[in-house]
Amino acid sequence: MKKKNGAVTITMDNQTYQVAPGITILEAAQQNNIEIPTLCAHKDLTPYGGCRMCIVEVEGMRNLPTACTTPISDGMIIRTNTAQVQSVRMEILQLFLSEHTSSCLICEDKDRCREYMGTIRKVGVTTGCRYCSNDGQCELQDVVEKMEVKEIKYPIYYRNLRVEKEDPFYERNYNLCVLCGRCVRMCQEVRVAHVLAFNHRGRETVIGPAYGRTHIEAGCEFCGACVSVCPTGSLTEKARAYEGKPDREELTTCSFCGVGCQMRLLVKGDRIIGSLPADDAPVNGGQLCVKGRFCITELVSGPKRLLRPYRYFDGTEAEVTREAAIATAAEKLSDCAPDEFGMLVSPNCTNEDLYVAQKFARAVMNSHNVDTSARSYYGRGFNAYLDLMRKAAPLSAVREASVILCVGLDTRFGRSVVGVELRRAVRRGARIITINPREHNLTLIAEDWIQTIPGQKTEALHKLVELTGKGASGARKGPRGVSKELVHAAETLAKAESAVILVGSEFLQYDSSAEILESVRQLAQNTGAGVLPLPAQNNLYGSLMMGAYPELIPGGHAAASTKAYGALKKAWGLKGKTVSGGFNAASLGSGKKLKVLYLVGENCPVPAGEAADFIIYQNIYPPGERFHADLVLPAAAFTESDGTFINGEGRVQRVRRAVEPPGDALPDWQILCLIARKMGVEGFDFANVESIHREMAGLVDGFKSFKKPARKPQAYRSTVALDVPAGKLPPAGQVNQKYPFMLSASITEHSHRGFSLSDWVEGTKPLFAEERLSISPADARKARISDGDEVIVTSRGFERVWPARIRPEQAEGTLHVTLYQAQAVNPNPHPVKMRKKNV
Amino acid sequence: MKDKDYSRLFAEFEGVEADLIPVLVRIQERDGYISEEAVRRVSRFLRLSENQIYGVASFYPKFRFTEPGKKSIKVCMGTACHVRGGLFLSEAVGWQLGVGIGQTTADKRFDFQRAGCLGCCTLAPVVMVNEDVHSRMSVIRLKEILEKDD
Repeated sequence: MKKKNGAVTITMDNQTYQVAPGITILEAAQQNNIEIPTLCAHKDLTPYGGCRMCIVEVEGMRNLPTACTTPISDGMIIRTNTAQVQSVRMEILQLFLSEHTSSCLICEDKDRCREYMGTIRKVGVTTGCRYCSNDGQCELQDVVEKMEVKEIKYPIYYRNLRVEKEDPFYERNYNLCVLCGRCVRMCQEVRVAHVLAFNHRGRETVIGPAYGRTHIEAGCEFCGACVSVCPTGSLTEKARAYEGKPDREELTTCSFCGVGCQMRLLVKGDRIIGSLPADDAPVNGGQLCVKGRFCITELVSGPKRLLRPYRYFDGTEAEVTREAAIATAAEKLSDCAPDEFGMLVSPNCTNEDLYVAQKFARAVMNSHNVDTSARSYYGRGFNAYLDLMRKAAPLSAVREASVILCVGLDTRFGRSVVGVELRRAVRRGARIITINPREHNLTLIAEDWIQTIPGQKTEALHKLVELTGKGASGARKGPRGVSKELVHAAETLAKAESAVILVGSEFLQYDSSAEILESVRQLAQNTGAGVLPLPAQNNLYGSLMMGAYPELIPGGHAAASTKAYGALKKAWGLKGKTVSGGFNAASLGSGKKLKVLYLVGENCPVPAGEAADFIIYQNIYPPGERFHADLVLPAAAFTESDGTFINGEGRVQRVRRAVEPPGDALPDWQILCLIARKMGVEGFDFANVESIHREMAGLVDGFKSFKKPARKPQAYRSTVALDVPAGKLPPAGQVNQKYPFMLSASITEHSHRGFSLSDWVEGTKPLFAEERLSISPADARKARISDGDEVIVTSRGFERVWPARIRPEQAEGTLHVTLYQAQAVNPNPHPVKMRKKNV
Repeated sequence: MKDKDYSRLFAEFEGVEADLIPVLVRIQERDGYISEEAVRRVSRFLRLSENQIYGVASFYPKFRFTEPGKKSIKVCMGTACHVRGGLFLSEAVGWQLGVGIGQTTADKRFDFQRAGCLGCCTLAPVVMVNEDVHSRMSVIRLKEILEKDD
């Protein structure tokens, strides 16, 4: 055998192997297909040597070292399977089992149970076997099988701990726990979230947060990484517990925010049963957040999914066939003049859907009246936000930066993948500064937390700009009225070798968002920092590039430009004039009433009667109680269609069809094409997504191969400004004796296709807590408000009732509420008073 | 405890991870136990999560998480005391006070703990009330001690 460069020779079970130096015995064995049982070792975690199952005999070493912690050395002679090793392993395993509910491991029905594991729940009811979910992930079962345990000679020490079911998404049964510490190490080493720890010691040891708190209270991000690594049934996903093994996996892109995590959808039969992070994706590196990990299954296979098209007449819903629905849509649209038509399309749709949607508006309806909900989400700050996108740095910049400034970013539930990067950055010595009115999950790791007071937001950032600007060195010593943190933060930023600014969602709905974002831009300019705008919409970038706005056409060109639009018309074979009706998402409902409003994956932001005479609604869920659409068309979810997304850093990523759409549902582009063809318009004969992609690639830069999108992170280039509400801001006013609290409001960033995720995913309700008023404990005590009480909030302009949510992180004298899309508090922030209802 | 008390205490330390146990020891000396408030303060001072701190602190029996009572009852569970009825005595304390091990009575008069060997095996069974060792205890004498006012 030829010796490889630097390789060491070891003898394992009487065979000689050449292995790379520096690896452990366990790794060497795994590389050479020698099986060593183990429970606590995991490829993503540091060696631990906790379970002692991987002990081996090494010549010249005393006792039996654990293979997972012992590095190999040249000439090492290892025996993995001697009688002594096996007998000690058996002893240890039996000690494990004396504490573990072992009936499933030695049950005589074990084989049948495994074969029909889909029915375990029903079996469990009659046989009483409900100890674990038996989903084929139990590594303890495998080890027991391999070791051929027939009986357990130790007495059963059942700990009789309460099964913890109070948190959403997963339950914890620590009676099944073998204390391998994988979840603890996952939480501490990889996620760096430090929610799980070993508490107490000896046989009292139990895993969990401090003081037996629930995971919600303990600041858990619900990323599910602990559940994925658990080798037993202690941690089980509630939704997937009794689903058994998936048949296949499909790689796709998450569509819940602009990070664009790569993930694997687990498919069983024709259903999605779960989602796991894709290993080693450049964006998320094997991590997901609560939305990607737990929300997809429930969202795409909810019982209320739209299956059949229906029409709404005089208070009744009448199901119609797909053909009839398409014919109705075509008929209504044929009667509609270009300036009486409006289309809202979701920035959660794929590029292909967005492209076809805007082409539909322009080529079929001869109208530029197409817009997305992003306009109302970003409001006055939209252009400033686009400015930041033009400067966007890739996500990898976070991994290299020495100073990271987070503006209004909270990475607990949204973008928690970025939060993991931030905490890793701290570990390698980077410094974090966070600007936020509330205590949040970054304050613990941040060197400086600049707590802004709502209403005085621009001040902090503005001061930072001043302090870091040219010629500010003299003032840096401590100008009056500037807090110590601010001066320190400015110094840190100014001296930084490489700085990055991350922009979260906190300030985006403030009235002064444009100035705040402009300050961020100036700050980036002053300090040479990269900016990561981290949009909340997964395909905001795509919606801009596809031209799903009245001002933009595909390629990011201005619709008003005769040259660019002329070229597009030529490419599409279009004649005649395209009308721009002054329509946009923000102005809907005010001004002229439309004849037909077409909602593609969107909800109607204003009362339906004010928006249009006839509303075509195309989505995955019914509009519910919010409004009645005149014609409802079922659409496919992102797990049911092919396409591409562009994430916040400008990377093109694939979405893949994992299952067929349910019922009569079709992908958005297909419905649009059917209607266009029915109306006799040419240019909508796309056979599949790939053919749309080809047409698109001719008009938009960066799209080449559909199968293997190769577009690397790239800042947004278009220079076209959007039409945003301008003019003087209404004065927000200051808190006074009459209105002593400052209320700030934000629009939920956890939305998908016009709905909040919490509309259809039950478990997210306690996490995202929309429409709940956050009050500081001190203020709540004074006003005698307890958690859940209805609170009336009054200001000069409005009166609203929200349930209270007492949050220690809320600053005294301030209130905060997260609203659903299309709701607003004007002005924002806003001085208010509050009182408890019914007293 | 006020902000000032904590900042004075923390001033003795650098604020690095290795300070965790010394800080906890100082807090226990001062307050008699580690309160949730203290854990929160230490968490912010050392930039460790509360869960990590609790995990470390709960490993050591020295740290307690309940407020101590005016009188601290420690029942010896060493071998000699065990043989002479220590377990029964400890159960008797539990019945008398209506609290479990490591807990404090609602009126804050007593807290109840078990101890390893107290080092006076010839006097077994032994019960320690604050710093006083009571030797050759019986349930009746125990009752007298608990009911005695001071």
